[in-house]
Amino acid sequence: MIPFPLLLKPEEVFRQLTELNRKVVQGIESLSRIRHDEFRSGATAKEEIYREDNIVLYRYTPMVERPFHVPILIVYALVNRPYMVDLQEDRSLVRNLLKLGMDVYLIDWGYPTRGDRWLTLDDHINGYLNNCVDVVSERHALDQINLLGICQGGTFSLCYSAIYPEKVKNLVTMVAPVDFHVEEGLLNCWTGCAPGQKNIDIDLLVDAFGNIPGEFMNFGFLVLKPFQLSIRKYIELIDILDNKEKLLNFLRMEEWIFDSPDQAGETFRQFIKDFYQDNKLIKGQVKIGTKQVDLRKVSMPVLNVYAEQDHLVPPASSIALERHVGTADYTARSFPVGHIGMYVSGKVQQDLPPFIATWLKARG
Amino acid sequence: MSWNEQADTLVKAFTEAQTKMWESWCDLIRTAPAPTMPSYSGVVDQWREIASQGLKAWTGESEQVVKDLAKQLVSAQDVGMRFFELSLSTWKAMAPKIESGQDWVTVLDSYSAQFRQQFLQAPHGGVAAVEGAAELWRLYLEQWQKLGQPWVESLRRAPRHFGQAAMGDGSAPIELMNLYWDAYERTFGRLLESPSLGYSRELNERLLKGFNAWLEFRRASYEYQVVLAETWAKAFEQLNHKLVSVAQAGEKVESLRQLLFLWIDVIEEAFLGVFRSEEYIRVQGRLVDTAMAYRIHEREIVEGFLKASHVPSRSELDEAYRRIYELGKEVKELKKALHGVTGGRSARRKVQS
Repeated sequence: MIPFPLLLKPEEVFRQLTELNRKVVQGIESLSRIRHDEFRSGATAKEEIYREDNIVLYRYTPMVERPFHVPILIVYALVNRPYMVDLQEDRSLVRNLLKLGMDVYLIDWGYPTRGDRWLTLDDHINGYLNNCVDVVSERHALDQINLLGICQGGTFSLCYSAIYPEKVKNLVTMVAPVDFHVEEGLLNCWTGCAPGQKNIDIDLLVDAFGNIPGEFMNFGFLVLKPFQLSIRKYIELIDILDNKEKLLNFLRMEEWIFDSPDQAGETFRQFIKDFYQDNKLIKGQVKIGTKQVDLRKVSMPVLNVYAEQDHLVPPASSIALERHVGTADYTARSFPVGHIGMYVSGKVQQDLPPFIATWLKARG
Repeated sequence: MSWNEQADTLVKAFTEAQTKMWESWCDLIRTAPAPTMPSYSGVVDQWREIASQGLKAWTGESEQVVKDLAKQLVSAQDVGMRFFELSLSTWKAMAPKIESGQDWVTVLDSYSAQFRQQFLQAPHGGVAAVEGAAELWRLYLEQWQKLGQPWVESLRRAPRHFGQAAMGDGSAPIELMNLYWDAYERTFGRLLESPSLGYSRELNERLLKGFNAWLEFRRASYEYQVVLAETWAKAFEQLNHKLVSVAQAGEKVESLRQLLFLWIDVIEEAFLGVFRSEEYIRVQGRLVDTAMAYRIHEREIVEGFLKASHVPSRSELDEAYRRIYELGKEVKELKKALHGVTGGRSARRKVQS
């Protein structure tokens, strides 16, 4: 007979339950004393350079006297807020790039309102992104700048670089989905990555909601790992409740995770249908406005960074880029982290910014 | 110590721990900055009520993210407690059989089969009940012209009961039926008198279509809950297998936390396996599609009443926003063309809405 593996002594159970409760009660008390200023994100100084409708273009204050002459424009995704790249002083991709002498700009897409329901991918890429690139180029008297696209922003940057290769000096993509029909990704499966299986009717979704609520998007992301992200995470939190620094770090992440903007309806419609469901990007069938996106026209040097344990953008989705771009100067670099770990892992922040800076400067 | 004695001792320890928890929550509340509520005679469910109100008292002036986090903390503690209650009841049920010489693996397998049966009864029973009532509601709907708002309320309150049903709470389907009857009584049971409404073929057609969409959504919800309930039951069986493999490896589970994390890993794996299946993807897609279809019909019904009340509707506002958006684009293009005479990219810098 197999021995029963549970050895829970009653006095130990009693001790663990009361200890658990003591920590939770003390934790609530500690939490109630914390103010927002203590965990506010965005450690690095920046100034507003350009504004158009809801979007704002920022330039981060350089940290060296003479920054590298070709600036970087960071293009983040629409589905989350971009301050993830500058979460806190010791977890800031932006800060680390600035310390390495780079000149860094960032597009903040803002919070779409109901009035933005009709904004399209054309507006975002040929409109806002193109205008921001022009603003940065003009400020530096350059014909070309560097683009750094993150996640969906990486996909946007790829489209942009294919449409306007003459404006992009070097392209860096981070955890960017390229091939959307990868079955490893649960998100891909749910939005319809199997041929003939579209799952959710996206037209109905957009017609019903208008803008897709941030809460709906967030719920979808949480359900990808429901018990880890909704239960285990908070039980493990109990262990750090008496460590203020760790608690503040946790609060910053928590604020960012649940700070999800609504998605402009028409942009969402085209992105999900054309990219996720029909996988048109790698087939050369995507049209942004009147402009065709042909990844073979991405002729500038490309650095493709991806996360080996990414459950949101599976590595296979990003790695596919190599087979489709036209450039002869293609570099791939991976890190043994998840999607968010790419920005917040201390180890990655030690290695990734110098890698990017060195790569860009060598192609300056 | 025998199995029965162990089980009894554990129950006693758990009860004492719950009492201690309730006492410490009461102490916390007594010293909270905000006004508090009267004390209760202690049972765990009342602890949950006290914890919830204590949270509000302590975090009343905190940032929203802090409030949300505090709520999650208490929820996590609650999950741990519920899980341990479930484990304890399992152990109590098993103890006499193991005491009488049966193998614990066999006993646990038989217990999880019973658990699975109980779990799966809740959503299936609800389907039959709804289908019978639906016919009745349709008959009345054809005679009365009513505003569907109470149905929307029942729709909003239903998910909590669905969740409880998925957890094997036998009273949850009854609560669901009560919601529907309550909504029926408040709508079709009374005539809505309004001079600007009254009989309208268009409104009647919208109400019927909305009702059909609502029924489709209800059916899709039940299908979805059946899949979830089956997954819960499967996860419980997989936990048994995991315990067997832990035992075969000569390992022990010596803390609540270790047991809880084992359970979380197992259940996560079970759910993720189901989430990838064609059946789940189909059922989830149908749930979302029927919910959105109902939402659209709901809006059309509400807009019918708004129009009669001379109030602008969502559709009208969206149309206005669309016109503003198109005009904005036209203005940007014109500005670009106008400033194009100054050359190159400087034109874009002028483009600000």
